[in-house]
Amino acid sequence: MLKFLKQVGDYAKETVQAAKYIGQGLAVTFDHMRRRPVTVQYPYEKLIPSERFRGRIHFEFDKCISCEVCVRVCPINLPVVDWEFNPATKKKQLSHYSIDFGVCIFCGNCVEYCPTNCLSMTEEYELAVYDRHELNYDSVALGRLPYKVTDDPMVTALREFLYLPEGVMEPHNLPTNARRAGQRPEEILAQDLAQQVAQEEK
Amino acid sequence: MDQGIDLQQTFIQSLMDLGLPAGAAKTVWMPLPMLLMIIGATVGVLVSVWLERKISAAVQQRVGPEFIGPLGVLAPVADGLKLIFKEDTVPAKADPLLFTLGPVIVVIPVFLSYLIVPFGQNLIVTNVGMGVFVWIALSSVVPIGLLMSGYASNNKYALLGGLRAAAQSISYEIPLALAVMAIVLMSNSLSTIDIVNQQSGYGILGWNIWRQPIGFVIFWIAALAECERIPFDLPEAEEELVAGYQTEYSGMKFALFYLGSYVNLVLSALMVAVLYLGGWELPIPTALIANWLGVGETNAWLEIVGASLGITMTLLKAYFLVFTAILLRWTVPRVRIDQLLDLGWKFLLPISLVNLLVTAALKIAFPGAFGG
Repeated sequence: MLKFLKQVGDYAKETVQAAKYIGQGLAVTFDHMRRRPVTVQYPYEKLIPSERFRGRIHFEFDKCISCEVCVRVCPINLPVVDWEFNPATKKKQLSHYSIDFGVCIFCGNCVEYCPTNCLSMTEEYELAVYDRHELNYDSVALGRLPYKVTDDPMVTALREFLYLPEGVMEPHNLPTNARRAGQRPEEILAQDLAQQVAQEEK
Repeated sequence: MDQGIDLQQTFIQSLMDLGLPAGAAKTVWMPLPMLLMIIGATVGVLVSVWLERKISAAVQQRVGPEFIGPLGVLAPVADGLKLIFKEDTVPAKADPLLFTLGPVIVVIPVFLSYLIVPFGQNLIVTNVGMGVFVWIALSSVVPIGLLMSGYASNNKYALLGGLRAAAQSISYEIPLALAVMAIVLMSNSLSTIDIVNQQSGYGILGWNIWRQPIGFVIFWIAALAECERIPFDLPEAEEELVAGYQTEYSGMKFALFYLGSYVNLVLSALMVAVLYLGGWELPIPTALIANWLGVGETNAWLEIVGASLGITMTLLKAYFLVFTAILLRWTVPRVRIDQLLDLGWKFLLPISLVNLLVTAALKIAFPGAFGG
C-alpha cells in the first residue's frame, strides 16, 4: 500500500514538474513577444556590408595589362580577356573583358592575384535579373561603381552585429558617431607600426 | 430568469403581424442565424489565421505579414484566394470519390457544431437539449473523413497520417467527454445555455474554472489534440509524414482541410469559454452593474449593451485561448506517437475519471456550491 502511495506521489511530482517546465517555456516565448523584431526589413532597411565583403567584381579597364593571371587563378577560368598584340607599342592591347556573375563563385582569387590591382571586390550584392545572360558583365558594366547603402535616401542603413558598440544588440536609432566594439583597422595598423619602430630602435 | 432580447420571437412576431402564417415566418427566420454563423465562423478563421501568423512572428522576433492590408490583415484572404485559384488535382491512382468526400466530411461536422455555440441568452442558432453532446458526437465524425482521405490518397504518408489522426481522435475523445461530463453533472443539463446560466450570478468567481481546474486543463489538452495543434500534430508531422493525410491535396480540397482545422480550433476555444469561462458572462455580475448605474436589470439600453458585450466577452475569452494555443505551438515540441497515446490513455483518462468521481462526491457533499 505504502509503495503504491509512493508511486502515486512520484507520478504527481513528475506531473507538477512537467507543468512547471511548460510554464517556464511559455514565459520565455511570451517574453519574446515584446522584443523588437531582429529581422532586417529588406527593401527599406539594409545592412552595411563589411569592408571585406565579397560582392560583384569591379574592373578598371585602363589598368589591365592582359596578363590573364585572373583566368589562370580562377577555379573555372571564368574571366574572358580579349586582347590583341599591338606591334607599334609592342604591348598587348585589351579590347574586351567580361565576367559572367551567373557562374562566378565570388572566391576573390582574381582580385587577390591581379598584378596591377585592376580587379576589386565591391559591396554590391543585388544581382537579380530576368535573364541569366544579363549577368554576363562586360568591361563597361564591370567598371560601374555600386551605390552606397548609406547614401540611399530610401534605405535605412543598419550596422551589422559586429560593427555595433560593445553590449549593444540593436542597430536601430544608433548615434552616427557610436564607435564599434574593439579597435578600428587604422588603430591596429598604427599599433603595429609603433611596435615595428620600437623593435628597429632596439 | 429574465429572457433578455429575443430576436427570433420579435422577428417572427413582426412577420406574423404582416399577415404571414407562423410556419412561414419561422422558415423565413431560420436561414438567417445559420448564414450569420457560417459567415462568422469563416471570419473567425481569417482572424485566427492572421493572429497565428502575427503572434508566431512576434514570438520569433519577426514582423510577420505587414503590407497586405493594414498590419497584414488581408494575408489570410490572399491565402484563401490563392487556394481557390489553384488547380484541383486528383492523383491518378487515388479513389476519386473518397478523395473528394474526405475533406467534405472533415469540414461539415465542424461547421455544424457551431449550432450549439451560444453568444448570449438567445444568441444561439438553436438551443438543443443535447447541447455539448451534439458537439462531441459531431467531432467524432471528423476522424472518419481524415481516415477516408488518408486511405483514398493511395500514398503511404497520407495513410499513416490518416491512421494517426484516427488513433489520436479516439484516444482523446474519451477524456474530453469525461471532462464535459463533470461539467454536465454540476449544471444538471447538456444545454450550453443552461451551462452558462449555471455559472452566472457571481461574475468571475462563479465560473466553472474554479470548480473544475483539473477538468479545464484536461479539456484544453484534449481539445488541442482533437484540433491537431502542435504538441499533438502527429497526423501532419511534416518532418516524418510530409503533410500526413493532406499530402496529396491541393487547391480547394486542401483549403477545406485548412479551414476545418482553424474552425475547429476556434470552436474548441469557444467551447472552453462556454464550459469553463462563463460564456458570455462579464467578469463582474450584470446585476451589480445595473445596480451601480441605478437602472433596472430589464432596462432596454442595458440589454442591448449587455448583448453586444456578451458577444465581445465570448469572443475575447475564445481568442485568449487561441492565443495560448499559438504560444504553446512555439513553446513545446511535438510528442512522439507512443507518448501521445500514453498521455491520452494512461494520464488524461484516469485523471478525468477521478475528476468525475470527485465532482460527483462534491456534488453530494456540497449541493449548494456544486449544483445539487
